[in-house]
Amino acid sequence: MPQDISSAPGASSLTPQAPVEKPSAPPVNILPSLIARTYSIAHPALLLALGATRFEELVADPTKELISALPWLTLLQIFYVIVCLPPAGSTSSTETSASAPADGKSSLRSSGPGGAVRHGKHGKRKQHANSWACIWSRSLPALLSLSLTFALATPVLTILLVLFGAPLTTHNSETVLCAAHMAVLSATALIYVHGVDRAVWNEVWGISRPADAVWGSALGTGLGAWFGAIPIPLDWDRPWQAFPITILVGAYIGYAVGSLISRTPLVYGKRVKFTPEDSSDPEKKTN
Amino acid sequence: MAGFRSWATVIANLLVPVGILTFSSGFFPYKPLIPGLATFDETGENVTVSAVFDKVIFMVVDALRSDFVYSNESGFLFTQSLIRSGAALPFTAYAGAPTVTMPRLKAITTGSVPSFLDVILNVAESDTTSTLAYQDTWLAQLKATGGRLVMYGDDTWLKLFPGMFDRADGTTSFFVSVSFTLGVCVFAVLVLKLRFFSQDFTEVDHNVTRHVPDELAQDDWSALIMHYLGLDHIGHKAGPKSPFMLPKQHEMDSVVNEIYTAMQQQDHLQSTLFVLCGDHGMNEAGNHGGSSAGETSPALLFMSPKFEALGGRRESPVEPFGDMQYYQMVEQADIAPTLAGLLGIPIPLNSLGVFIPDFLEMWDHGSHKLRILYQNAEQLLNTLTTTFPGFTFGPDISTSCASEVPSGIEGAQCAWARVQRLLSDRDEADDSYSTAGPALLQFLRIAQEVMSRTASNYDVSRLTLGLLITVIAGLLVLPATYKECTRHRSSGMFLMLMIITCGMMMFASSYVEEEQQFWYWICSGWIVYLHIKSQSSAKPVSHKRFGSSVYWSDKCIILVLAITQRLLRRWNQTGQKFAAEPDIARTFFARRPEIFWVLLILTYVDAGCRLFRSIPISGILKFGAFAPAVLAFTFKLHFVTSESPELLDGMFISQIMKEWPYSLSLVLHARLVFYGLAVIVLLALFGERSRVARGPHDMIHEALHIFLMTQSRATNVPLFLIFRIQAGILSSMNLTGIEVTITTLIFQYMTFFAFGGSNAISSVDLASGYNGVDSYSVVLVGVLTFASNWAGPIWWASQSHRLRPKNPTEQDPSALLTFHVAMSLVSVMAACTALRTHLFIWTVFSPKYLYSMAWATANHVAVNLLGEVIFSRSRSHYS
Repeated sequence: MPQDISSAPGASSLTPQAPVEKPSAPPVNILPSLIARTYSIAHPALLLALGATRFEELVADPTKELISALPWLTLLQIFYVIVCLPPAGSTSSTETSASAPADGKSSLRSSGPGGAVRHGKHGKRKQHANSWACIWSRSLPALLSLSLTFALATPVLTILLVLFGAPLTTHNSETVLCAAHMAVLSATALIYVHGVDRAVWNEVWGISRPADAVWGSALGTGLGAWFGAIPIPLDWDRPWQAFPITILVGAYIGYAVGSLISRTPLVYGKRVKFTPEDSSDPEKKTN
Repeated sequence: MAGFRSWATVIANLLVPVGILTFSSGFFPYKPLIPGLATFDETGENVTVSAVFDKVIFMVVDALRSDFVYSNESGFLFTQSLIRSGAALPFTAYAGAPTVTMPRLKAITTGSVPSFLDVILNVAESDTTSTLAYQDTWLAQLKATGGRLVMYGDDTWLKLFPGMFDRADGTTSFFVSVSFTLGVCVFAVLVLKLRFFSQDFTEVDHNVTRHVPDELAQDDWSALIMHYLGLDHIGHKAGPKSPFMLPKQHEMDSVVNEIYTAMQQQDHLQSTLFVLCGDHGMNEAGNHGGSSAGETSPALLFMSPKFEALGGRRESPVEPFGDMQYYQMVEQADIAPTLAGLLGIPIPLNSLGVFIPDFLEMWDHGSHKLRILYQNAEQLLNTLTTTFPGFTFGPDISTSCASEVPSGIEGAQCAWARVQRLLSDRDEADDSYSTAGPALLQFLRIAQEVMSRTASNYDVSRLTLGLLITVIAGLLVLPATYKECTRHRSSGMFLMLMIITCGMMMFASSYVEEEQQFWYWICSGWIVYLHIKSQSSAKPVSHKRFGSSVYWSDKCIILVLAITQRLLRRWNQTGQKFAAEPDIARTFFARRPEIFWVLLILTYVDAGCRLFRSIPISGILKFGAFAPAVLAFTFKLHFVTSESPELLDGMFISQIMKEWPYSLSLVLHARLVFYGLAVIVLLALFGERSRVARGPHDMIHEALHIFLMTQSRATNVPLFLIFRIQAGILSSMNLTGIEVTITTLIFQYMTFFAFGGSNAISSVDLASGYNGVDSYSVVLVGVLTFASNWAGPIWWASQSHRLRPKNPTEQDPSALLTFHVAMSLVSVMAACTALRTHLFIWTVFSPKYLYSMAWATANHVAVNLLGEVIFSRSRSHYS
């Protein structure tokens, strides 16, 4: 199932301009506050737990359940990005100089001073990270990312789902809703964190972002959806083998696993890279 | 050796067929057959049993499912009235898989249970060893008593019994045996009877019925055999619920009526037995071959006015007591001993049937009944002792039979000992039947069960040996494969993961049935992999400004590849679970034929233009290059007009086809295409080398392209246009050697399924096997059928040589391909060995093994490796 998660929104929303040799954004860190760090771990588990409670309803009537769950999922994701992630423009443009050593050791930067180097305008923000004003200032990018998620990422994911084998002539509402769920899972955080940074979206299109919680969960969503297709051909004749259910379950599990794994020091900051020839680069194999 | 890096690869490829042969000999066991004809034991009991009947009329209605006769929706009204009057004894005769006509006729006539081998190894006309002419059948027994045999209907009988019939008129069903002859090994002869192109359902049966009055008037025959095909044709064409079905049943019923009336009225038919039966049933789609209840439950009726005396009046129509089970269940093999008993002939030597006890009442004396059963028991005991030479049967058996009756061969020993005791104790009185009879029947049933099971008795040591040889073949190429995979770590890892997951899948029956899903799935993953690779490597290039169009085509070309892959995926629905869902070839093209024709014409135009460009001749002669393409296109039109005219309905093409000069036969037309292509190939091989730009391979590829299009179903031809697009995209991606190998490997398997192939025997496409062939030839028909079923894999094998990077030093594709083939064979063999008692072994795993044999021998050795050898030689010439 789709791996190039929400790749084209970035690509297609940009006209090719004179490419400025600009290194892409470094991996994104969870905000350093205790609440942010705690909730960022609790959030995938919460999503999985909520999903598990709704599983039977999903099997009974996928379309209805997917529609009714979508607002709640959206709210949870919005809450997550606002609480745990830095909005676009707050980190990426200033940290470009530090982007070169994107290896395992840099995972400690989240608690280090790296996050404090900011544009003057946002310089004081950190101290008030939890204040209401700060939350309001983050709502705007959150809403923007949400609209882009539904306007661009969902159609793109729908197309990708179909390209990866989702039915085209039937189950259209299921496909679109499945894509919407996957888009909210993967694209909301990506857009919130990176905005429409062209270099980042080029990397997303090429599946070559360095691993962090945001990219890891997005990649995990796609990979999980791809692996979710495995049980469909089995002759068990279970109702949950119907089209969008396994894909969606795979996507949710993939989201949780990807978001947790990608911030472990072993994986953090690494890129999915396929070695063409002999190379000592440790690579993350993803099929 | 050219094309191979090392001798290890060569040896491995020699070991693969050896492994296959060894495994097959253990997997398809040869049942010991007792040669010769059975005779009555003259020295034995002096009680001779008088025959009840002296003639038999044996009427087979192909695919006569039990409910067609017995249910209240049946058209067999007269037959049902016979059941009510007691003149007809109805049964449901269990027909085990494979439920196709030839093995079923074998079961009916010899009484044996045909093994799967009978489906695989069969009936080439020249091959007399597989006919039943030299086996003991009730036909041979009748013949031996000096009777004359007459046969009308399906010519399968004529093929099975050459020279047996004194008068015969065979109607042809589309009966094909396909062989893949490969060097020293002859494999996978698939015999199938399917795809009836005949539009009429009446003519084929009329050819049988018109002989009936004449034959009923004659009294020289002792067996009149009729085999009606029309009902089966209707099933294949439109299923059991077809509106044609009821009229056909009425027609068959009227034949029964005619014959039965003659039996009542004519003197010379006074003691004639009339048998009406189906050879197999059909499923709800109207097809057969598998083991669903509908397919395995044909009807069986014995009719004669004499049966009315038995007083066995039965209700009719009735409700089934099980799935398609009406009245009493018997084995199809029971027909042979029952006929033998009633006709007073010896039971065929290899019969596993049990005399149907209902007919014992035809004899008044208990000693006669006992004699009939005893003959049956002696004959079965004979086959038992032949099959199990280590066991002795006698009255004194040491094993403890008293407490409970054991099953299996020991159970048969006990039952026989009991029979012996009861028979020796008897006091020459008639009522010994009441005690010994049930004991004899019990022995017969146990023996039948034991013998039926040995039909699928495996030689486990051979299975293991074959598996071991194939493992060694895999190990031989392992070092080369490992080297290749470590040089290209991620691609190698992908390949290994693919081989492992594919191997694991072979153990799950539903994944075997739905194998295409795996290849589509892994292909979309591989496309993403290639995308990531190309994005990461193309970065420095894309940053240099080539202009936006180049930039975007670099980025988005992968989307086109994904779209074409998605189209392939939906072209033909195969497998089991989703086979009935709409697809492009059957559903979409049927609804929008104009799109189909535009695509078809585009494909041929493309083929013609490419051939034109690749040909090294200049001047006016160059336009001769269009000739094969035009010929191939008109041939396809010709073929469609005669075989699937529904595609032409209401099309502009059909107007053209009305004007078509039909003087040219299809065979000649196909030959013209092949000759044209042969000229191209000769030109490529022996033409002026200096003019050939990229070596002869381009021209050969173009010729192959047209050849494969000719061998494909018309609705699959546009796939070749899609292949062109895919090949163009892949060649623009500058893949490395191992990537090309993996890509073509995946595409070979994927396109096999995209063309409509599956792991079920019934999906073998035989329509194009006779292109340009007017008489049966094992080699020619085998090669043509292979090409039409493996068209996609062959095309990609050829294309892979064009995708390879130019420097030949950095690749060893044959080792990788050999490793993959050996490993997939190992997993299929291991699955077949481990699951040999699985319920689906004959319906799912064995067909998969047959397909694996074809993949490993025909596709791997004959297509991939031969291409490798030829290509590396031609490259060494031209580079």
